Amino acid sequence: MTSSSPDFLFGSAARLVLISLLAALGACGGSEQTETAPDADRGAAMRAHMQAHFDSFPSLPPELVEKIERGEISQADVDARVARGEFPKFFQFKTPADLPEGLVWEDGMDLPDLGSPDAKKGGTLYASLADFPRTLRLFGPDANGSFRPWILDDTRMLLGRRHPNDTSIDANGNFRYFPGIAEAWAVDRANRTVFVRINPKARFSDGVPVTSDDMMFSLYFWHQPFIQAPWSNNFFKRNFTHITRYDERTFSMTLPEAKPNMLGRVLELEPLPMHFFADFGEDYVQRYQWEFVPTTGPYVIEPDDLKKGRSVTLTRLDDWWAKDLKFWRNRFNTDRIHLTVIRDTAKTFEAFRKGELTMFGLGLPEYFYEKLPATDPLVADGYVDRAVFYNQIPRPTYGLWINSGRPLLDNREVRVGINYASNWDKVIAEYFRGDYTRMRTTADGYGEFTHPTLHARPFDVEKALEHFAKAGFTNRGPDGVLVNAEGQRLSFTLSTGYESLKDVLTILRQEALKAGLEFRIEVLDATASWKKVQEKQHDIHFSAFNVSPEMYPRYWETYHSVNAYDVPWLPDGSVNPNRKLKPQTNNLQSIANPELDALIEAYQASDDVEEMKRLAFRMEELIYDDGSFVPGFVVPFMRVGYWRWVRWPEDFNVKLATTLTEYFLFWIDDGIREQTLDARRKGEKFPVVDEVYEQYREQ
Amino acid sequence: MALNPLTIKKLKRFREIRRGYYSAVLLTVLTLLSLFAELLVNDRAIIVSYQGAWTFPTYADVKLGAEYGLTGTEAVIPVDYRALAARFEGTDDWVLMPPIPWGPYFNDALGGVLKPQAPDFRRDHYLGTDSTGRDVLSRLIYGFRTAIFFAIAFTALTYLIGVSVGCAMGYFGGVFDLLFQRIIEIWSNIPFLYMVIIVFSVIPSAFDIGTRIAILLVIMVLFSWTGLTYYMRTETYKEKARDYTAAAQVLGAGTARVIFRHILPNTIATMMTFVPFTVVSAITAITALDFLGWGLPPPTPSIGELLKQGTANLTTAPWIVTSAFVALVFILAVVTFIGEAIREAFDPRKFTLYR
Repeated sequence: MTSSSPDFLFGSAARLVLISLLAALGACGGSEQTETAPDADRGAAMRAHMQAHFDSFPSLPPELVEKIERGEISQADVDARVARGEFPKFFQFKTPADLPEGLVWEDGMDLPDLGSPDAKKGGTLYASLADFPRTLRLFGPDANGSFRPWILDDTRMLLGRRHPNDTSIDANGNFRYFPGIAEAWAVDRANRTVFVRINPKARFSDGVPVTSDDMMFSLYFWHQPFIQAPWSNNFFKRNFTHITRYDERTFSMTLPEAKPNMLGRVLELEPLPMHFFADFGEDYVQRYQWEFVPTTGPYVIEPDDLKKGRSVTLTRLDDWWAKDLKFWRNRFNTDRIHLTVIRDTAKTFEAFRKGELTMFGLGLPEYFYEKLPATDPLVADGYVDRAVFYNQIPRPTYGLWINSGRPLLDNREVRVGINYASNWDKVIAEYFRGDYTRMRTTADGYGEFTHPTLHARPFDVEKALEHFAKAGFTNRGPDGVLVNAEGQRLSFTLSTGYESLKDVLTILRQEALKAGLEFRIEVLDATASWKKVQEKQHDIHFSAFNVSPEMYPRYWETYHSVNAYDVPWLPDGSVNPNRKLKPQTNNLQSIANPELDALIEAYQASDDVEEMKRLAFRMEELIYDDGSFVPGFVVPFMRVGYWRWVRWPEDFNVKLATTLTEYFLFWIDDGIREQTLDARRKGEKFPVVDEVYEQYREQ
Repeated sequence: MALNPLTIKKLKRFREIRRGYYSAVLLTVLTLLSLFAELLVNDRAIIVSYQGAWTFPTYADVKLGAEYGLTGTEAVIPVDYRALAARFEGTDDWVLMPPIPWGPYFNDALGGVLKPQAPDFRRDHYLGTDSTGRDVLSRLIYGFRTAIFFAIAFTALTYLIGVSVGCAMGYFGGVFDLLFQRIIEIWSNIPFLYMVIIVFSVIPSAFDIGTRIAILLVIMVLFSWTGLTYYMRTETYKEKARDYTAAAQVLGAGTARVIFRHILPNTIATMMTFVPFTVVSAITAITALDFLGWGLPPPTPSIGELLKQGTANLTTAPWIVTSAFVALVFILAVVTFIGEAIREAFDPRKFTLYR
């Protein structure tokens, strides 16, 4: 920018200062990396604090937890009852002799393997990030960002993972799991308890074995308010009643309800390395900001590979403990994963074309049909392959999240009107060229748990006008936007962090104007936009939650009133007039509805599949009536272009794959890479590879 | 108003420099025309004759379909005048559309698909469309209007502040001068781009586009007036030492009169030569900000936004980047030619007595 102003306006001195300022900023970034030499006193203090938590933390019945949340019982009351020893302890210590008789240990080893035996180790995957991660912490502020898959979701092992191809449900109502850190598990459904035996070979990346104590520590960790992760705080208090240590490698966790897939609730956890958190305390958020947490998975980040603002590199552990384990072998094949920050989609694509990136998602029609069509020389000459892969997953919730805690949007009629005034049909037909489908509910793709008949409201100007009129917006102003009697315009900010989808919003805007509704579009970068919605500063936000392949959708996070407001209700159950929007939760719609709360609580407490379905359908209907979510679109497939040295298993990917890299089944063949680059120099061509994999396509 | 003979001479000289003179004429015409862009480039009709009565929708409030006898959904939504023209064909009613019948926001789908369309005279997309089917020429013209008036306002405000402060520093001198020089040094070292980014991230997006442009303007002016003060200050120092200033003071002229009647007219010539370059820098700045995404919010038409789209679709839709690039180069070249001519015409060496 400085160079665009002539010197007399912006002297060369100013330019120098700018440069030195940038340098200074860079230096600041570096200095945040505080030394965390183990401090004996702190370590002792942490252990004492943890022990105190173990000794005192009670196992409260879920009804009581909910009553505290609603403010019906004061914390002091409960504390008094706890002091009287009315409740058992959450953390229990027993011996192997205490293990119940007749447990049936399972290990999922009968399930089919995942990786391809043809896979080769080696090579580097070059990928891009839209924004530099704001933290390496796994929990707390900013940790739930788009960098998560690379250091948490996709690269860590968990105790066990759901099998991504065998999606059947076993006799006990659980999904099929294959072992990760756990070696075997047993379910005691009557006592709502899952027993887990840790694999004796399991190691963290710094060589320390994984033990039951790490799991005990993890629960202590997730209970602490100072990790500033209210979701974790609540989840691990509300959804577990006990953790019991039997020995170094055996523990059990008890749930308040014997939910369907209760096994998954325990196995899909990952013990945190207690030894690493020796300095854990009130300053967790700052202290561990840029610390890579030792992992049981295959990839680590060396401190030197974290180039602030520019790139992050993950390195594969050569002696990863699980490298020959069934389900884990032949996966995670590349030696390094180099993630460069490229903020602009067009630039990312050009980098891919140049060969600086290994793959590029062609999900957007403009890329699939125009920028990299089958006729493009890169594809036609066989250097770049294309693939369309239909997956079967709970669908990410692309749609408009209306913050009903904001003025005007607190009126249901306005929200329903917005539903009718949002022309997703046009976006899907004309912009996405009919490749995508309209989302129906907030929980599409959950099979029997998805509402069978509910459909999103279509674009209908007359109905929109009708609802806006009920809200008092009857007249159009000079610019065609509706105005109410007080002179307020029907105008809202529509923000998004998806720079590549901003055209969708401009189309929605133009169409909404027909119904007298104005969207003011605000395109932010990914991190800033997430920050905005987490602080509940948005009017209407276009975004999607990536959902994990669970058996049934979650409602508490996004729809319970305790996640909408700090104190949603007065003790008598009426609306608290002074309530404030609660930041850092996923209730982006700020829904607070006592009936919905009751259903969510019943849903959480239920262990009957039929009842849960019935409740889920009822909740979807309530959310539909509330009108605060405008379902957008569903992308039923993944489309990708990749350089031909990326190799995939025969069936390309797994049924539950949400991203191409999620299960790390591909490998990079450096031999083919050399051959391809060489052939390209000489002008030799390869056969075209342009495949469609429809084996998991939903009809 | 009687012009100073020297000024008349300068103007005459300016007219003699053909390239600059015609550039000035062209730019003025274009700027004036852009004021009436709604009549030339728009998806609203200029005249609609319906049942014998004429209406002029261009500058009127948004009209709903019911006014022209449309029924169903079309009756309650704003009129699509192109569709109306097609419907009126063969009846006594008619619609007169502007020469370029596309507004800057209309998404025109070709064959049911929204994608960049190559220039097509039959569809009246003279420079093609952008990635969501909006007419490039239409967006260019409206973008030009915003940019040029932004630049004019920017120049006027920058000069107002820069000249007043610089003049005051030169005239009063002493402690005042010393103090202001230090203030300016500090002020001019605040990086302007960061300020724009910071301010834009805190102002609520609830402000309408006009307000946002005004805020952008104010920020840019606040950080751009300082450079002018140096020139103005030295010029004023020089003129203040001249005999005519002393004479005016002896005759009892007040400070204001001395500054505005005697010193300012004698220094303004120097300042004039900078004006076109300030305009250039303002246009470049707003284009660059839009290109970076820190300028006007979508879907406001702007040259910077077109350039960004163009670079994103470089190979698939070259007409976008070509149009935006050629337009930008043309505007900047024209302004620069004017600047050169002014500089030459106002060059004191041509008239100096101190040779």
